[in-house]
Amino acid sequence: MSTETATARATPATSSWASSTKFKTFAITFAIVGPVIYMICLQMNWPLFTYHPATNRIAFGWEAARSGEGPNMTWYGWTAMTLLVATVVSFLATLLPESVTRKIPLILVWLLPVLAIPYLIYDLRQWWFHP
Amino acid sequence: MYVISVSTFWTIWLLVHLMLAVFLLGALTHQAVSVLMPVRQVAGPGGFVTRFRAVPAAGYATAVCVLWVLTFIVGSYIYTKYRIYIRIPIEQAGYWKTQGFFDFKEHVATICLTLLPAYWFFWKNARNPEYDTARKVLTVYLAIACWFLFIVGHVLNNTRGFGS
Repeated sequence: MSTETATARATPATSSWASSTKFKTFAITFAIVGPVIYMICLQMNWPLFTYHPATNRIAFGWEAARSGEGPNMTWYGWTAMTLLVATVVSFLATLLPESVTRKIPLILVWLLPVLAIPYLIYDLRQWWFHP
Repeated sequence: MYVISVSTFWTIWLLVHLMLAVFLLGALTHQAVSVLMPVRQVAGPGGFVTRFRAVPAAGYATAVCVLWVLTFIVGSYIYTKYRIYIRIPIEQAGYWKTQGFFDFKEHVATICLTLLPAYWFFWKNARNPEYDTARKVLTVYLAIACWFLFIVGHVLNNTRGFGS
């Protein structure tokens, strides 16, 4: 047995979540859907809420910064929206039969986050090319 | 009467965020190196690099998830002060690329957050060769992202952070 085998594979799936088929479906779906939903929220500007840090005020959905009340923050809202929608979609995926969920391509778990990087660089172009 | 000043309060939280990030960076770097350059055989004690990559990588998975979530939460908490006291002066000074990199950092941090359940599951099932590629790529992705987040945070702190 190589050391790589001895180190990287040292911990077998002992917890109930690690051996759960439903958790596997949830985790894989969450990893696939999460980045996609986040980028959609970013592109469409769909925060669950907008936070106004200077006045400590929270508004549902998107709300512009008000004059004299400081800036608005939408990142919390995008993150909350992503976690909420990804959780719901992933939970619904666990209700599907295993014969269906087994066909979810594992490559998407890492391909979509990798593809998100060039998209984010493009989406932030206003900062890179600001005069 | 306050025990510490408001500035000290937020500085402490900034340092907590930093320390959590350092722990996370160490764990993920060990893990990433162990999957990129696995130790096949050890004849004798081995050198520093061999010992660095010969860690029990699977045992880091839960710690990495917990540390990522904690670092994320503390970072989110201090973000409100960043938005008012750091970002506005940075924009006024015209450091547009610095601002762009911070926005990049927040997006990457959220995307990585969504990968944690799968990352944890793959490492807890490291004996299953079906997950090998996904487990390795996710680990390296998280490690590179963590280094990126750390360096951007460090540069931003140098631009206008600790003590400003």
